[in-house]
Amino acid sequence: MTKIESLRHTCSRLPFLLLLAIGVLGIGACSSDDGVGPDPEEEAFDLRPILQNEADNVILATYADLDLASEGLLDAVVALRDATTEANLEAARSAWRATRVPWESSESFLFGPVDTQGLDPALDSWPVNEVDLAAVLEGDQELTQGFVAGLEGTLKGFHTIEFLLWGVDGSKAPGDFTDREFEYLIAATQALEADATALNTAWDPGGDNFAAELSSAGDGSTIWQSEKAGVQELVNGMIVIADEVANGKINDPLAQQSVFPVESRFSGNSLTDFRNNIESIRNIYTGDYGGSEGMGVDELIRDLDGDLGQRFVDQVDAAISAIQAVPEPFRDAIFDHTAEAEAAQEAVREILQILEEEIAPAVSEL
Amino acid sequence: MGRVSEAASRPLALTLAVAVVMTLLSSCADATGPGVDDGSASGEGERSRAGGATTVVDATSFAFSMPAPNLVGERLDLHLDGDLAFEQTFVTPPADLNPGLGPVFNQASCIRCHTRDGRDLAGLLIRVSRPGTGPHGGPVPVEGFGLQIQDKAVIGVDVEARVVVEERDTTLTLGDGTTMTLTRPTFTLAAPFTALPADLYLSPRMPRPVFGLGLLEAVPERTLLDLADPDDRDGDGISGRVNRVWDEVSQRLAVGRFGWKANQPTLLQQTAAAYVGDMGVTTTVFASEASLGALGDDGRDDDPELDDEELEAATFYVQTLAVPAPRDLDSPQVRRGEELFVEAGCASCHVPRLETGSLEGVPEVSNQTIYPYTDLLLHDMGPALADGRSDFEANGQEWRTPPLWGLGLTRTVNGPFRLLHDGRARGILEAVLWHGGEAEAAREAVRSMTTSEREALLSFLQSL
Repeated sequence: MTKIESLRHTCSRLPFLLLLAIGVLGIGACSSDDGVGPDPEEEAFDLRPILQNEADNVILATYADLDLASEGLLDAVVALRDATTEANLEAARSAWRATRVPWESSESFLFGPVDTQGLDPALDSWPVNEVDLAAVLEGDQELTQGFVAGLEGTLKGFHTIEFLLWGVDGSKAPGDFTDREFEYLIAATQALEADATALNTAWDPGGDNFAAELSSAGDGSTIWQSEKAGVQELVNGMIVIADEVANGKINDPLAQQSVFPVESRFSGNSLTDFRNNIESIRNIYTGDYGGSEGMGVDELIRDLDGDLGQRFVDQVDAAISAIQAVPEPFRDAIFDHTAEAEAAQEAVREILQILEEEIAPAVSEL
Repeated sequence: MGRVSEAASRPLALTLAVAVVMTLLSSCADATGPGVDDGSASGEGERSRAGGATTVVDATSFAFSMPAPNLVGERLDLHLDGDLAFEQTFVTPPADLNPGLGPVFNQASCIRCHTRDGRDLAGLLIRVSRPGTGPHGGPVPVEGFGLQIQDKAVIGVDVEARVVVEERDTTLTLGDGTTMTLTRPTFTLAAPFTALPADLYLSPRMPRPVFGLGLLEAVPERTLLDLADPDDRDGDGISGRVNRVWDEVSQRLAVGRFGWKANQPTLLQQTAAAYVGDMGVTTTVFASEASLGALGDDGRDDDPELDDEELEAATFYVQTLAVPAPRDLDSPQVRRGEELFVEAGCASCHVPRLETGSLEGVPEVSNQTIYPYTDLLLHDMGPALADGRSDFEANGQEWRTPPLWGLGLTRTVNGPFRLLHDGRARGILEAVLWHGGEAEAAREAVRSMTTSEREALLSFLQSL
């Protein structure tokens, strides 16, 4: 709050707590000396390189990794069917975890085709419709990719595949698989792989090139009317996933003391999911991904306020450490390690707080 | 009951700080320095706050998903609870989390139709009825199907029917010689689970954005009655009628406000109707499955499947989603377009400015000056848009004036345009050109505009 307090000279930076206290909204909050804006002589920070780098080297690159990993998952489940051994089961599970990494690392930018083409619910709906899944498996419908692709999100995507690979309590053995389950597993993985490819193609310059929409924000983009709106989209995306992890994914099971809301509980991959969600915030913030380094929101924020830029990165590190300090599986930690789980939640909430109270207002001021 | 959302897609739960700052940016437009471009750039304070104190300045894909900035404390918490309810994906009962889906349904969550609190072609559904007047003056349900075709079902249950769409292109020449291709869809039903009657009325319905609805609910009934001109006494060729519909809670007729034919009187009922009709989730308002006695009967003694707390939270959520501020109000082209909008007669139905009264329990939307661009009344829109299906007092050519606020953010939030009740218009101009009936003169005025006039008009509409 110290930072915000120091910025009280402009109306739009009035600290929100003060506002709450006085309960004033609108014009009444503007005092006569509020007309201080950024110095017009100061050269504006060029946002274009940020947008270009985020689109090409973070977002598109993440989706390319997802596409590639999903092919590996498909190969692994086919191999498991062909030779149902302990080793092949472990390989398929590893491939699922590996595919999960780029997906969870994409959750700080859930805008564009992933949303408008219905790919998010197709890939990552929760919970699994266990009643219907059992009914399909008991039936005699031919289990093709097309059939599974046409089902609800709760009957396909990551968590249905996870359910089939691990079983409801995570203890499935190679001998437990039925032929029907293999048919379904392969069809669902084919559908997931096709959706991952569609998402990558939607952003790829060789495909529908949605990357160009973000790169050209304010200069021909049909989605974002200004460069600033493009950067705000990135900031909003980080806010959404920070909120989701702190106040949804961690909070719901912890507050309700129930395993049922624990996403990825069949595989015990929940905390890894959370960590990769926070990594996705880091990727967008820094503009760095997979060994590539480029312009990110970080450069802008450091230009405005070097201390804030560093504090945010430090808090991301702190949140990752706090999540790593909670022992997997999260479905047990919500009962056995509540202090660590609460500390992780608090660390992510601090990311959220910096984003909402300092970074978003700073970008809004541009 | 658990409330976990579709895992990856919890929309924005921006808390107060950002929203307040955004509102202040808007409200302090006059005070900001020359280097400040907040995206609204307006000196017209009131006009730039399209949703009054519930306005946010945001032109990202989250523009329809922001909590009203005047929500505080427990009120904000209730809104965020509603956000979770709005996102939860239902599954077939019995289940540990989110049970209640089906047996027949259209989609499994609110957000699958109202993606990012907007509209999604995936949510297009078909209403059906038979000739005559049903209970309380409403449409007559079709035996075995009810008033809506649920084209999905849980495993082991038939779907009611499949929806088949056929599209036909027509061309239209504008005053400046520009040729437009308009696409008109025709919807039919295939493979019904049992025979459909020959005298079937059918009406396609797109989802609509759900922000700003509490404000519209708070517009006094008196205002609607004053705007109405059922017999066109002022001779301007535009009538405007109030729909009177059945209120399930008060058990009497009430003014209709929501839905394409203004056939829902309150947001509580609209929300409960969507739960039961679109998702197959029963509530205390509609405690029986739709199509009960036919495919809708799940044979389970579990109604209501959603408790009042969640129904009320979901209702409060749509009552208190913020309205995004218009943009570019200082642009000369936008200003010219606004004048043309009025000159062409568009503002006769798309009434720019309304004042809300008091909405019980929701002070956040009460006593606000708003710019929704609607009169909430029914108008004859001509044969090209007609569905031929009456709905309470709305006849087969009448539609409720949809609000235009947020229109210019449609593509930003939901991708390609799909406007009008059946999603036929793939852009704002196409939507204008489909207007007929009472709006025919206005449409012709637009059609005969010069290129620059038309571009100015569209710039104005895009600024909303």
